[in-house]
Amino acid sequence: MVDALSAVFQRPNFLAFVVIFLWGFYIMVTRYNLVKKLIGMYLVQTSVIFFLVSISAKKGATVPVLLSTTEPVQAASYANPLPHVLTLTAIVVGVATTGVGLALCGAIYRKYGSLDEEKIIEKL
Amino acid sequence: MSHQLPAILFLLPLFAAISMPVVCLKHRHWSYRISVAVLTVMVLSSVFNLHNVVNYGEVRYVFSGWTVPLGIEWVADGLASVVLVLVSALGLLGVVFTGPTSPQALGGRIVHYYTLILLLMSSLVGIVFARDLFNLFVFLEVAAIASYALIGVAGGRALFAAFRYLILGTLGASLYLLGVSYLYAVTGTLNMTDMVERLPMLLNSKALVGGLVFMFIGLGIKMALVPFHAWVPEAYTYAPDSISPILASLVTKVALLAWVRIIYWVFDASMVIYGIQILLLVGILGALASVIGASLALAQRDIKMMFAYGGISHIGIILIGIGQDNSTGFTGGIFYLLNDAVMQAALFFLAGVAFCQYGVRTIEDMGRVGKQAPWLTGSLIVVGLGMVGLPPTGGFFGKWYIILGALEAGNYLSVAAVLLSTLLTLGYFVKLFESIFRQSPAQPDAPSGEIPFSCKLALGITSAAIMILGLFSAPIVRLLLNETLPPHL
Repeated sequence: MVDALSAVFQRPNFLAFVVIFLWGFYIMVTRYNLVKKLIGMYLVQTSVIFFLVSISAKKGATVPVLLSTTEPVQAASYANPLPHVLTLTAIVVGVATTGVGLALCGAIYRKYGSLDEEKIIEKL
Repeated sequence: MSHQLPAILFLLPLFAAISMPVVCLKHRHWSYRISVAVLTVMVLSSVFNLHNVVNYGEVRYVFSGWTVPLGIEWVADGLASVVLVLVSALGLLGVVFTGPTSPQALGGRIVHYYTLILLLMSSLVGIVFARDLFNLFVFLEVAAIASYALIGVAGGRALFAAFRYLILGTLGASLYLLGVSYLYAVTGTLNMTDMVERLPMLLNSKALVGGLVFMFIGLGIKMALVPFHAWVPEAYTYAPDSISPILASLVTKVALLAWVRIIYWVFDASMVIYGIQILLLVGILGALASVIGASLALAQRDIKMMFAYGGISHIGIILIGIGQDNSTGFTGGIFYLLNDAVMQAALFFLAGVAFCQYGVRTIEDMGRVGKQAPWLTGSLIVVGLGMVGLPPTGGFFGKWYIILGALEAGNYLSVAAVLLSTLLTLGYFVKLFESIFRQSPAQPDAPSGEIPFSCKLALGITSAAIMILGLFSAPIVRLLLNETLPPHL
């Protein structure tokens, strides 16, 4: 038990990931306001990106451009470029989804005059 | 030339989609012709691609010359090529069906509508070909974003259904991405072929199990597996009549194909984690989905809602076939996937024609159509035979091979689930036919109008395809057995 707890608290990033993910999920499930649901959704997406950044962080590494072409490559001294690319792509995908979601929210507000899920269901 | 086909098949609809808003700025009516032309070329090249793959073996395509562990790899193997022919043919049929009905419903948004359909088609090509887990995520999201917009395009209730789909679909995509990052953290690679070599030493890793579970839940939401199916019925019911055939037949099936790729091609499907066989789990979830989906369909009054729940139960039947871990069951599952895509398209074409021409929404309304619409009733009978699974249709042979596979594996629970769901399917089609053929003089006849030629074409081709898949099931199943089996089956 103590071992498990100390293992958790030695990785504050992963703890933060779990908290942000569950927080976003809680907002998505419990709030009736559609924009708040979108905020929760965005938190969930961001938490996954945060996780991806956390697992690929490297201390004392530099940008992935070769410092010298003559010496053998020291992999430990360069950051891995792949997770950064993945993170950028995931951010772009998240922005696109949020954009479509906000557009739908706008159209729903113009049609039903409210963003409250319960009021909209009454009017359906 | 032919080794570039995977890229051509993807870039053709993508470039057409990107250029369409510019090309069709002045001439809106061009958008329909351009999409029909592009999709026809796509059907022809996908058939050519299938021919090449069957005769000369699979095509491995790497983008801009970056070889395998570094670059993104696409593989056109037998399974991908067969499914691609289905995807492009049903996409073309869906657009042809759309032609005459959409302009009234969509007004000035017709160009954006066709742009989104072509974007959806190109992302489906990406999902089918991709051999890179992250690439798969990107295309799943492009397909999902295009579907959200297409469902919401008509306004009204569809907006709210699209919003719910967006919330659930994005949660699914985030979980899938989380699973991918777990697997990346464990193996250090995203390429499927590269990952296969590194997995066997890592089978006891908890991160691997966690990643697999998150990916399964994420793709389960995308493929409308039963506990996560809540978005499907509303989204397909309130989507414009012209778009629900394409969405219902293609999007969920292609997500299921992505899951099949991951469990059979990346993981050794027969692997046991903490004493639980993953395929057994897939089979049980499939059995639950097939029975629960069909029972919910039996309770519906709205015909589109009923067909949507029918589709959910068929996803379960496909998963039962996939989960047997023998070649008979796998082939049956893939054959049933092809059949189910055609049947779902046919059902939603039917529902679209019934609503546009006769104003039919519920089962009771169907009674008013009955005898004055031979095209509608005729194709409904064919699709009904297929959905229930009676001999001359493809649905029968799909279920037959799935049951044979389950018997071979000694899984009597799965056999019972397929049979029970067949009985329930029979139940809701009997309800529908009873309402059509019952004499009800009290009901006034619906205003009759001639069904447009393109709708007749779509209904005729899908009904014929259901029969042809049944009559020529032997060569098709032989093709699937020879070409589409995963490496170790």
